[in-house]
Amino acid sequence: MTTATLAAPDQGAAVRIDRLFLGLALASASILIALVLLDHQPASAALIVGGFGLGVAFLKAEFSYTASWRRFLTRGEAGGLLGGLIVIAICACVVVPVAALSPNYGGAIAPLGPSLIIGAFVFAVGMQLANGCGSGTLYTVGGGSGRMLVALLFFVIGSFLGSLSLPAFLALGGIDPVLASDYLGAWGGLALTLGSIAIAGACVIAVARKRGANFMPSRRYIIGGVIIGLLCVAVFAAGGHPWSVTFAFTVWGAKAATALGFDLSHAAFWQWPGPKRALAESVLSDTSSLTDLGMLFGAMAAAAASKPFATGSWPPLKSMAAAAIGGLLMGWGARLGFGCNIGAFVGGVASGSLHGWLWFLAALPGCLVGIRLRPLFGLSRE
Amino acid sequence: MRTVYILVVVLGVAAILVDHLSSSSSGRALSPEDFAGACAPCGAPCPSKK
Repeated sequence: MTTATLAAPDQGAAVRIDRLFLGLALASASILIALVLLDHQPASAALIVGGFGLGVAFLKAEFSYTASWRRFLTRGEAGGLLGGLIVIAICACVVVPVAALSPNYGGAIAPLGPSLIIGAFVFAVGMQLANGCGSGTLYTVGGGSGRMLVALLFFVIGSFLGSLSLPAFLALGGIDPVLASDYLGAWGGLALTLGSIAIAGACVIAVARKRGANFMPSRRYIIGGVIIGLLCVAVFAAGGHPWSVTFAFTVWGAKAATALGFDLSHAAFWQWPGPKRALAESVLSDTSSLTDLGMLFGAMAAAAASKPFATGSWPPLKSMAAAAIGGLLMGWGARLGFGCNIGAFVGGVASGSLHGWLWFLAALPGCLVGIRLRPLFGLSRE
Repeated sequence: MRTVYILVVVLGVAAILVDHLSSSSSGRALSPEDFAGACAPCGAPCPSKK
């Protein structure tokens, strides 16, 4: 037996702990933390712990960007989107001023151009097919979804392919990042960033009201949003940059490709200093890998602490195909679009970078296309 | 599905261990944005630098 039943004293409801997977998650996270501490890297350990907390928070709050966007586009419900804006606002209060005032910290920036637009659009199509974005894929894989395990595998493959495509798309042109604090200073930039978030929130509420839909986030979403926002700040403090997810997938894909004999010495992306260093050094030297791994094991621990882990059956083949195609599109799109909902949208907007809002505007129509494609794979449009 | 998960976790942690022990490490964990000339979270250069 791998599960034990504990009676909750107040309600008499059964909480079933899956000791095997709880132990596996805690042991795996502990091994990673021990490895980085042996290298005298407390900040790396903090990133794993921060990711672990994010995994728990996302799973417990059932915080889903993908479903929130879908509910907004199909039914006009705005609560989920507003919950996401709470995360960004909390994060922005720290990221914009600290990144502007401290040389040891930086915001999430990205050039504005065709690559960003195309990447965000393609990512959003994939997000609706896979039924999870970057963070969503991580915490649902950690939560025991075999379907999302397939999505993650193809996310990694797509992200690696995206790294090979990105230089060609950047050659199409673009302009340098536009950062609010560069024009208005730390506090003016923060005011503009919070103002833009407030305007976006007002627009979302107006749409919901017009469609007669609910626009209030649930209590669980508000609490989850606040906790996730605070954890984003903690990850920023430990890593020096806003939380990002998908670069890790690119590195994992490239490391696997190299192990299989691929020569990346002529790939332009892998000659840029950052990616070149990430490929050459330990995966535990990459900030996004540390938080991603922490998030996987955090979600696994939280899931296994409340019920038997991964006891469901594998989904139908069509649904698995949607996960695979969605994962591939998300990976490729995330690399071209400079990240996912977290790295590009949350991190970008919270840094006061214009690319965050452009990513959002390009991703919305992609979501619509993805939602229309879902029935082809036996998935609901709702 | 549980067996697949156990395999994935064990093989994944083993792969991380092998990678960590066989790769160099220059110390603090970094993001590609930490390098001079990086213009995006993946380390892409700025359009104006081309």
